Amino acid sequence: MSTVTPISLAIDGIASYLPVAVIIVMAFLFIVANLVMTSIIGPKADGAVKGLAYESGMDPIGSARKRFNVRFYILAMTFLVFDVEIIFLYPWAVTYTKLEPGSAESALFLGRILFFIATSIIAYVYAWKKGVFRWD
Amino acid sequence: MPLTTSFTATPGQVQIVFSIITIVVLLHVFLGACAYSIMLERKLSAWMQDRVGPNRVGPKGLFQPLADGLKFLLKEDYTPAGVDKTLFTLAPGLIMLPAMIGFVIVPFTGAIDITGLIQWMGISEKNTTYMVSVLGADLNIGVVYLVAVASLGVFGVTLGGWSSNNKWSFLGGLRGGAQMISYEIPMGLALLAVILVAGSLRPDAIIGGQLAGAWNIVQLPVAAVIFYACMLAESNRAPFDLAECESELVGGYHTEYSSMRFALFFLAEYFHMITGAAFFTMLFLGGWSVNPFGGWDLPASGEWWMGLIQFVVFAFKMFLLIAFAMAIRWTLPRFRFDQLMRLAWEGMIPASLFVMLVTSVFLFLGWQDWMWAGSLGMIAVIFLALPIMPRQSDPNHRVKLIGSRFSPADEDFDATSVAESTVG
Repeated sequence: MSTVTPISLAIDGIASYLPVAVIIVMAFLFIVANLVMTSIIGPKADGAVKGLAYESGMDPIGSARKRFNVRFYILAMTFLVFDVEIIFLYPWAVTYTKLEPGSAESALFLGRILFFIATSIIAYVYAWKKGVFRWD
Repeated sequence: MPLTTSFTATPGQVQIVFSIITIVVLLHVFLGACAYSIMLERKLSAWMQDRVGPNRVGPKGLFQPLADGLKFLLKEDYTPAGVDKTLFTLAPGLIMLPAMIGFVIVPFTGAIDITGLIQWMGISEKNTTYMVSVLGADLNIGVVYLVAVASLGVFGVTLGGWSSNNKWSFLGGLRGGAQMISYEIPMGLALLAVILVAGSLRPDAIIGGQLAGAWNIVQLPVAAVIFYACMLAESNRAPFDLAECESELVGGYHTEYSSMRFALFFLAEYFHMITGAAFFTMLFLGGWSVNPFGGWDLPASGEWWMGLIQFVVFAFKMFLLIAFAMAIRWTLPRFRFDQLMRLAWEGMIPASLFVMLVTSVFLFLGWQDWMWAGSLGMIAVIFLALPIMPRQSDPNHRVKLIGSRFSPADEDFDATSVAESTVG
């Protein structure tokens, strides 16, 4: 019993996600139970003035769903470029570390990813020059 | 004595049962820890400001979180008139759910030897030691799962802000969305450096590498600092709490919320902080490792008491990180929004890209033991490069006003046109 290498009971594949489903159900029940309980227990009173949006005590001026600064859209698009790039980098990182350091294959992997990152660095520098990151 | 029934469980199913028990226990522990970290924050801030803090409910104020929770339940769950009812109800759930499900992949102790149990169940093979992992879900893409789930919180913030039909909430939601997506990028890149060092996406492999060698915070100090700052920004903690800063936006995205819905926003922030501390401990502080520089460490013997010691070490590191985040909140002033965005996009993203590239090049050259030197060299390069970087013009526009002492305007100066051109 004590001489053999221990084996882990860890399971692979889709079955390993079963506990994730359990925690999602538990979190969902926790949230719903809290919301339902507070709506049952809590007092209820309504009024025309009570329903107004809070604007530091003044009557609200117009709706809040207005046009807002386009910078938020541009920022979100720039974010997408990087986020997709990072998602591609995770599998690369895992594979790259398995290779022999300094080997030809490793150099190929590194070179490809440097090119890939260089393309998005060009986009990043362009966005910087265009003033996407300026919020003043 | 083997269990002689028609019970046919496989060892894999035993792991699933252990995982589910772990989840149920840890969820309750963390919900309690959330409530008491709110208490801890109030106490810490009181001590830092030379006050007493909550001390009325129960001995030394220890029942304060229970009283708070009860009070939240007893308050009116009010929906204001102008809101989008569906999204307004959905938003607290959308922020709480991702916050609650992230922690399952973090292994809080090493694997435990349950050979005795397996033998008792009569399903063991001869000469085999069975180790059970004490964690919720043993996913092979563990860290990616946690990052993906944690970033889903942005929907709750943005939708909560938008659905409230309140200008403060709207601005808070927008700011929160922009901030959370911006800080996700350096977080992902810093994480990538860790993955390059560990060579795996499995949480137990990342901790195992740090048990055998030095902690990642020793190997990648720059990545660790970036990651911690991004963690604060992702959970909307000061100094990055622009989405809810009370001096500018009243309550930010949760201005219109009351009772338990507000409490869910509040709990989610602390749950994010606890998950983030666990994640940081796992990635950079070596999990339950006690020796930062490699060498002797807590043995992975598999006894239950060793697991307990490992859990205590892990929890202590988490506690220090949470207390540090609280100390930061009550020490540093809040950023301005343009500073916040520039820090992310013009500071942290280039720095984290640089860290990641330096790490991969060092791996190619086989200099695994000299990662820390790469980070230090990087800091030196940044300090050398800073003076020659392109400067921005003064970001503080002074609107000229007639009769102002500080930025006076001429008599024929049209103040409204300048004001319109500079309002962001």
